[in-house]
Amino acid sequence: MWENILLGREPRRGFSIDRERAREIVRELARRHGLAVNPDALVETLPVGIRQRVELLRELVREPAILLLDEPTAALAPSEIDAFFTTVRALAAHGTAIMIVTHKLAEVVAYSRRVTVMRAGAIVARFETATTDVDAIARAMVGGEVPPLVARAATVPVPRLVVRELRAKNEAAELHAAALRVCAGEIVGIAGVEGNGQSLLADAIAGTIGYTGEMSLDGEPLASTLGPGARLMRGIRVIPQDRTHEALVLDWSLSDNVALGRQRTAPLQRGGVIDRGVAARYARDVIERFDVRPPNPSVIVGMLSGGNQQKVVVGRALADAPQLIVAYQPTRGIDIGAGTLVQSRLIEARNAGAAVLLISFELDEIFALADRVYVMFGGRFVGEFARGTIDRGRIGALMAGGV
Amino acid sequence: MKRRLARDLIVTVIVVFGVGSLAMLLAHVNPIDGFGALFDGALGNESEVAETLLQTTALLFPALGIALAFRAGLFNIGAEGQLLLGGLAAGVLGVILPLPSIILIPVLLAAGACAGGVWGGLAGFLRARFGANEVIATLMLNVIAALLAAYLVGGPLMQPGAAASETALLPHAAWLPAILPDTRLTISFAIAIVLAFILRFVFTRTVFGFELRAAGDAPEAARRAGIDLATSAFVAMTLSGAIAGLGGATIVMGVLHRFNAGLSPGYGFIAIAVALVGNLEPLFIIVAAFAFGILQSGAIAMQAEAGVPRDVIAIVEGLVIIALAGRRVVAARRTS
Repeated sequence: MWENILLGREPRRGFSIDRERAREIVRELARRHGLAVNPDALVETLPVGIRQRVELLRELVREPAILLLDEPTAALAPSEIDAFFTTVRALAAHGTAIMIVTHKLAEVVAYSRRVTVMRAGAIVARFETATTDVDAIARAMVGGEVPPLVARAATVPVPRLVVRELRAKNEAAELHAAALRVCAGEIVGIAGVEGNGQSLLADAIAGTIGYTGEMSLDGEPLASTLGPGARLMRGIRVIPQDRTHEALVLDWSLSDNVALGRQRTAPLQRGGVIDRGVAARYARDVIERFDVRPPNPSVIVGMLSGGNQQKVVVGRALADAPQLIVAYQPTRGIDIGAGTLVQSRLIEARNAGAAVLLISFELDEIFALADRVYVMFGGRFVGEFARGTIDRGRIGALMAGGV
Repeated sequence: MKRRLARDLIVTVIVVFGVGSLAMLLAHVNPIDGFGALFDGALGNESEVAETLLQTTALLFPALGIALAFRAGLFNIGAEGQLLLGGLAAGVLGVILPLPSIILIPVLLAAGACAGGVWGGLAGFLRARFGANEVIATLMLNVIAALLAAYLVGGPLMQPGAAASETALLPHAAWLPAILPDTRLTISFAIAIVLAFILRFVFTRTVFGFELRAAGDAPEAARRAGIDLATSAFVAMTLSGAIAGLGGATIVMGVLHRFNAGLSPGYGFIAIAVALVGNLEPLFIIVAAFAFGILQSGAIAMQAEAGVPRDVIAIVEGLVIIALAGRRVVAARRTS
């Protein structure tokens, strides 16, 4: 980590790098800006949120005159966001010009002095923050009123996914005997700061990592040896953390990407041959339901914006009446219109009887969608709240490791 | 993809004509005379065209095999060894098996494919089971194949009346039928072309090809879509080797009519350039193989007519391989 941060301005001692001094600089910088890091960690092993801190520190060490930040808080916890903006404010007070690209309106209103709204490549509005509010900015962003979320329908809860004593670990985190259940027709939110075991939970359910413990779907056990393919066949769909790497083949067409994961299922597959007509129909379904732009099944997915890529990922996951949907940060880094659409489709899937496990670092998203909330900290579930009993302050405290 | 194709074509043309001309100038030959002799020698009359198509065929098999592995994200530089063992299997069994032509020919072709498949599959197994880099594995297996073939032919499998580096002459029943009278061009050319069309269908239309390409283009996304990457690596390397081995068998059965340890002047390596110039698309690879076939068969005429050492062509081909494959080796090293 310190090598990344200090690359190009390493402290020297003679001809060699003064490693002790380098670690000290990084620790001091991190402390001054309230961003906890371990200077010796390998960046490759860190979760996205911590990597973002590394990137930020790398720029801060250069004492910039102008600082451009693209979605800087996307992976930060609420408490970290406050500390982050304190840092940014301090920089601004010392004369650094700071421009932040973000889709989080609450932060815009809370921390900025002036706001510029862009839509479809053009500037559509400018505001003085002091004289505007969230609604006005949101209206400018979507070009009208923000579409309301779909209403939730009453359902009878039948346990679908049951997890007991789940243990798994990687370099960054560890799950300690986690237990949860998700019912059919229910959205269960996992609230927590990134790096507390959420990605292990999602990967264990997806079948991409080893774990111990019990897992069952509709009463049928899911053996830990059951791979992602078999779980797909059982109706488990995962919207993964990293869409460009774990979900999409960027060089492929939209149509082929929508087909990926269903390539062995009829009617897409017949006699080992892929039916292009069916593939095109699947692609058009996703395009229509999710308003993908451009609405072209043969467009190369790597050419789409992040929001449209995410629509393809979510559209594919929700396409064939799945039993269980694990949505990991499903609206990360996409604009408010696309985000609301994705959220509405998740509620529709729930209303249609799917079990939805929503892992999100945005409390607002969890409160807007979840019927029940677990709070995750240090690889454990430290609290559970039904929709009527959600206590924002209490959840915030639990997320930060309070009791 | 299209941009890469255009760039690779430009690189190839510059290397072939630029470096080729430079080398000819160093040999005190006018490049126009040199390349004129080359093209005339490759395409001047019917029998020369047939020889060029023969070279095209010899390159096309391993190039298609290499392309299949590449599509699965694997760099098979072991086509040379796979081709050699495919030829050995056909050459040895052809002398032993007393079968009528209609049975013997398919059996020997299958034997060649099996031998090459085992050799490719070995590298695939090492990759799937232990994560061994297939570039290193296939490279070393080339050396083992060459020494193994030389040892077997000169020792345990030595046949009466054969020289130390050869097997005995195959019976006529094992000879591939010619498709152009009075030339050495056999049905192997047609087999290679048909194989290219089959591979195109496999890549673009079948579930197998879809999963193969997914594993190559985005391994993590493929794994999450239910594709077993280890199985995919093993199957791809086995098929890749089988196609190269089939090519080796056709050289033995169609051209030499016996196995000779020196049957390939590096077809398995030149085929890497052929596969890459053809952008890993089977039908483009046919065109690329023809272009390299012209270089191969025109090189001798160029030496005889214009006095340019034929090694100039080997240099040019080597540079094309380095220019086009180097980038992919680096990429393969990063991912494995």
